[in-house]
Amino acid sequence: MLRSMLNGAVAMGWLACALFFLRFWKQSNERLFGFFSLSFLMQALTSAASGLIDAQDERRNYIYMARLVGFLIILYAIWDKNRGNRRR
Amino acid sequence: MAEAVYILCALTSVACAVLLLRAWKRTQSRLLLWSGLCFVGLAVSNVLLFVDLGLLPPTIDLYMPRQLSTLAAVSVLLYGLIWDAT
Repeated sequence: MLRSMLNGAVAMGWLACALFFLRFWKQSNERLFGFFSLSFLMQALTSAASGLIDAQDERRNYIYMARLVGFLIILYAIWDKNRGNRRR
Repeated sequence: MAEAVYILCALTSVACAVLLLRAWKRTQSRLLLWSGLCFVGLAVSNVLLFVDLGLLPPTIDLYMPRQLSTLAAVSVLLYGLIWDAT
């Protein structure tokens, strides 16, 4: 029960962060914020999913893969941002 | 296969943390500081994930420390977004 509650709290937190970055993206039209928002949304989904499935479930690995994709989005976003600066 | 994903999660989150904190040093943008600190917490959580599921026997369960470090990471970012970065 405590585990699901923590998972829910983390998912809610990520969702809030994703919304903040969505707002920044809307305001500034900066792609970096859009990618951040997407990545945090991904983290929210993985947290919610790991709260819902059993710890012994084989599908657990897909959750960590989704988490990895979220981190790769951030890395891509930073690379994309740096590339943009250099070109300017 | 699963271990490879855990290691990659740890490595990518460490890379995110390093890149964001380096960008913060360069630009002094507070938002980058909070994002960087958030990824430091996530890196801790992912290293624990690898240690828990990859190295330690199933009798030892690090689920709580992993979850708490993730919660700390989210809280740091939310604190920054609400009180400091805007």
